[in-house]
Amino acid sequence: MRGKKKLGAGDVALIGMMAAFLEACKAALAFLPNIELVSFWIILFTIFFRWRIWFVIPVFLLVEGCIYGMGLWWIQYLYVWPLLAGVSFIFRKEESVWFWSVLSSVFGLLFGLLCAVPYGVMGAVDGGLRAGLYAGFAWWVAGIPFDLVHGVGNFVVMAVLYKPVRSALGRMNS
Amino acid sequence: MENKGSRKWIAGVVVLAVAVLVLVVVYGVFREKPVEGSKSIVIEVVDRDEGKIEYQLKTDAAYLREAMEEAEGLSFSGAESEYGMMVDTVNGVRADYEADGAYWSFCVNGEYCNYGIDTQPVEDGDVFSIVYTSAGQE
Repeated sequence: MRGKKKLGAGDVALIGMMAAFLEACKAALAFLPNIELVSFWIILFTIFFRWRIWFVIPVFLLVEGCIYGMGLWWIQYLYVWPLLAGVSFIFRKEESVWFWSVLSSVFGLLFGLLCAVPYGVMGAVDGGLRAGLYAGFAWWVAGIPFDLVHGVGNFVVMAVLYKPVRSALGRMNS
Repeated sequence: MENKGSRKWIAGVVVLAVAVLVLVVVYGVFREKPVEGSKSIVIEVVDRDEGKIEYQLKTDAAYLREAMEEAEGLSFSGAESEYGMMVDTVNGVRADYEADGAYWSFCVNGEYCNYGIDTQPVEDGDVFSIVYTSAGQE
């Protein structure tokens, strides 16, 4: 029978460091539109630190909300980042750099589509299902050029950083 | 073993290529396209005190920014970015998001614009609203 995991002081410190790392990397690359390291780190943290990611993401979201305000974008973050962590968790035993580069890239390409959901819901509340679908679709289409940049950026970041960072995290974890 | 690795690699490339292709096609077919020729439009500005100024104009402008530049008496400025101009001042009234979360919101025919002013297409009969919006007011 598997025992329940207890959250120790080391885990709390690690979770805090991971959340701080996400926030710092996001702020550092904020001047580059749709080029980000958050996807990369959430995938790597999920692979190496497993269940702790479910504490890291809420902390990261809370800090983001406090800094930038809890607008509609924040609602999108509530499900987009956990979704990435969930998919990464499912494939956590995969080691291929190409696999993770493709996964991260597909996430970047679909980012706008995933984020369009609240616009669809708001449109549906205001004007019915058809209006909701149109609102979400129009919002998604308008942002497709940025999704393409996001997808390419995520692919390159993962392809370049995956091996050295995986090796460093592996040493740290052992 | 080697074959399995190659197959995975090829599958990955195919997945990415298909995803990119779908996005490019959807964007090419469904994006809002500018309309050529003369159009009659209205641009209304609602300032901090909810005072409204209306500008009616006939324009050949394809995008909103050009139409705004043609509207007599309307002034605006902001920072240029990769998304086009991020308008922060309209008719001398500055919305400072950093200070108090205020911004100028842009709507077309009652709906939020999906594009920045440099890429928002203009169609005949459009009514654009530029509204001073405070934090929590959206």
